[in-house]
Amino acid sequence: MTGIVSYGTYIPKYRVSIKEIAMAWKKNPDDIIKALGVTEKSVPAIDEDSVTIAIEAASQSLSLFPQKPNVIEALFVGSESHPYAVNPTSTIVGELLDIGHSYLASDLEFACKAGTAGIQMIAGLVTSGQISYGMAIGTDTAQSKPHDALEYTSASAGVAVLLGKRNTIADLISFTSYSSDTPDFWRRDGIRYPSHAGRFTGEPAYFAHVMGAAQQLITKSKIKVSDVDYCVFHMPNGKFPREVAKRLGFTDTQLTRSLIVDHIGNPYSASSLLGFASILDIAKPNQTIFMVSYGSGAGSDAFLWKTTKEISKFHSKQKKYGISVMSQLKTTTDISYIEYLKHTHKL
Amino acid sequence: MNIAVIGSGMTVFGELWETSPRALARDAVKQAVVDSGCDKKNIQALYVANMLSGTLGTQGHLGALFAEELGLSIPAYTIEGACASGGLAIHTAVLSILSGEYETVLVLGVEKMTDHKPEEVSSALMGAGSNEERLAGATFPGLYAILARAHMEAYGTTEKELASVAVKNHFHASCNPKAQYQKPISIEAVLHSSCVADPLKLLDCSPVTDGAAAVILSKKPTKNSAVIIASQVATDTLGIAERKSLTTLAATTEASYKAFAQASISCKDIHVAEVHDCFTIAEILALEDMGFVKKGEAGKRIGEGTFSLGTAKQCVINSSGGLKACGHPVGATGVKQIVEITDQLRGRCGKRQVKNARFGLTHNVGGTGATAVVHILRKESL
Amino acid sequence: MISPVKIWRNQKYIASRIGLIGKIISWSFIRVPPDGFSGQAPYPIAVVELEDGNRICSQIVDWEEDSLKIGLNVKTVVRRTIETTQDGVIPYGIKVKPI
Repeated sequence: MTGIVSYGTYIPKYRVSIKEIAMAWKKNPDDIIKALGVTEKSVPAIDEDSVTIAIEAASQSLSLFPQKPNVIEALFVGSESHPYAVNPTSTIVGELLDIGHSYLASDLEFACKAGTAGIQMIAGLVTSGQISYGMAIGTDTAQSKPHDALEYTSASAGVAVLLGKRNTIADLISFTSYSSDTPDFWRRDGIRYPSHAGRFTGEPAYFAHVMGAAQQLITKSKIKVSDVDYCVFHMPNGKFPREVAKRLGFTDTQLTRSLIVDHIGNPYSASSLLGFASILDIAKPNQTIFMVSYGSGAGSDAFLWKTTKEISKFHSKQKKYGISVMSQLKTTTDISYIEYLKHTHKL
Repeated sequence: MNIAVIGSGMTVFGELWETSPRALARDAVKQAVVDSGCDKKNIQALYVANMLSGTLGTQGHLGALFAEELGLSIPAYTIEGACASGGLAIHTAVLSILSGEYETVLVLGVEKMTDHKPEEVSSALMGAGSNEERLAGATFPGLYAILARAHMEAYGTTEKELASVAVKNHFHASCNPKAQYQKPISIEAVLHSSCVADPLKLLDCSPVTDGAAAVILSKKPTKNSAVIIASQVATDTLGIAERKSLTTLAATTEASYKAFAQASISCKDIHVAEVHDCFTIAEILALEDMGFVKKGEAGKRIGEGTFSLGTAKQCVINSSGGLKACGHPVGATGVKQIVEITDQLRGRCGKRQVKNARFGLTHNVGGTGATAVVHILRKESL
Repeated sequence: MISPVKIWRNQKYIASRIGLIGKIISWSFIRVPPDGFSGQAPYPIAVVELEDGNRICSQIVDWEEDSLKIGLNVKTVVRRTIETTQDGVIPYGIKVKPI
């Protein structure tokens, strides 16, 4: 069955606190923390970008995969911060990872769900037998205008997921996607910072699409919410995923492990994937994971995964190399607001 | 070998805003020609030493340019070896005379650095390093600082000992009317100057300088000449990561070994030497790698005054003020070193004269030690 | 603008050098950067000896001020190197980070 054979994650080590940002704009930090449910966010180093972060995550996944990188026949990189408007991130990543030349490379954009769209497409190529292995990456160094509300949550991270049919650690049981034309958050070509439509990004955007895709998946797979072991939703802030989980009938126990937003904010294309990776880091064999991403514009990709007994072996390998999402959440360096502006090329 | 330096001259070294490269060349060459007492028409070839004209000034083909400027329709060549361009040009000129092709040749070292911003100059100078070093964001102070730290770790050399090199050379330069800096400085001043690349500070580093130096070499010595009795070159890897050791410049060791053998003398016979002190650590490495002191001891000896005018036990090092205090117009330095040693051997150095100097040495390095050129000169006793 | 052909030729060297372990042989801290590095300055550079015995000269990233020392264990990573014009090809290269 088509599923995940390996995965890797990367979170830059720098953090700027919501308090630091709020104080720069003379706002009350407690108000912001309460409203958004975030305390700090991850910040890339000045010389990191979506390419370098994708390479880190992909290298990690390849270090846990026994075969040579040239068995990969498709590489899709999803981001809203591709360094070029024209020139694929995916071939730079592919070249530096020594994947060879026999692969389909494609760059994807769909706000925060470009990475998960890649998973659905690669799953199609694998299941049809067209390719043996394909990798989908979600990577971002999210930009936001200083003093805008998004400044408190726009973060940075990357996740790489390698899909195949043999020795899978988590099988893709079912998936679906829900799309519409909803302009809640966008960035025009040539414009540096994205814009958003305020409260319109809530009900008609995030909630409508996440709920829509979730309900589609529940109908399609005939799964009962109470039978699911873990759930993960896209995390634009600390409140939305908790609210949508409640509406769908999921409990705190099912949701809590996925909430990386509480530690690093919203890394856009890596958000739901990072929450998912955090779950996979501790999931036991034969556990189900319900995952729904969200991308503004708008759409949601929903997945039902089931871990296999291979995941225990995978965990041993991760432990041997000290690899986990948690370890990256623990080793951090705090920076000031000015350093944050320098790192994100605003100074 | 016995190649005579029959005439020499140099411009003042410093920030010479109003002086173009052509004017620098005319000044230095005029002095050399007058000093030689010979007719300009006797000069058969011109060797020009320069590093940055192509990168910074977009002007190459300097042999032809300066031959025309000096009114010489003769074979003209440009020699480049980063900061060792001058020494290499002298060496090439020596070989050309030994070959029998020429009897009398002119060597001109010239560099114009102050027309450009410091960052541009710093980047252009990194043309002397490896591509890997440039992509690492290295600068020359940074690369020599890596060597300094390795030396401090291996031998306990201190920042104060590094500073004593600068103090000595500024003291010498205060006796040199052509030097860029004419005032002595203190150890405290060096230690308190701002950090450029830890552990090297501003006053550990040679400055950006304009200047030119010229010498006329001849097969036949005159009454007033000094004689080159050894001229040797050695090369090592371009970048420091590829070196066998970070605490020794192997090119210096090899070139000096060959030079002493060629001259049939040892460093104990040298009375005055101009060594390549682009940074304070570079002088320490030079003295150790040529055998003037045991490995690891140069810092202490320099600090004790062993190589200073007035207190020297062995020989005086960098009587001109060295690159540090006399200035370092990159392509001109190697030629200027020959000018200084020639003047010392001919007794023309006034306040900074080393008494009874009979043998002198010049040591010129390219990059972080990829090229080293050593010349040994003897006082002519006609 | 840096030559795209030179950047392309250099890539082949980068791929073989990712994820290698090494230790710092000597280092310095660049406070006066050359052209193209002013945004990143100040930063440390080092000569690093890799496990295979080869040495490289590279910038150190993700460093803590008081942890830089001879003998520090590091790992090679891919980062942006020299700053280029807004319309130029972006050069990536090998840097090292403490582990």
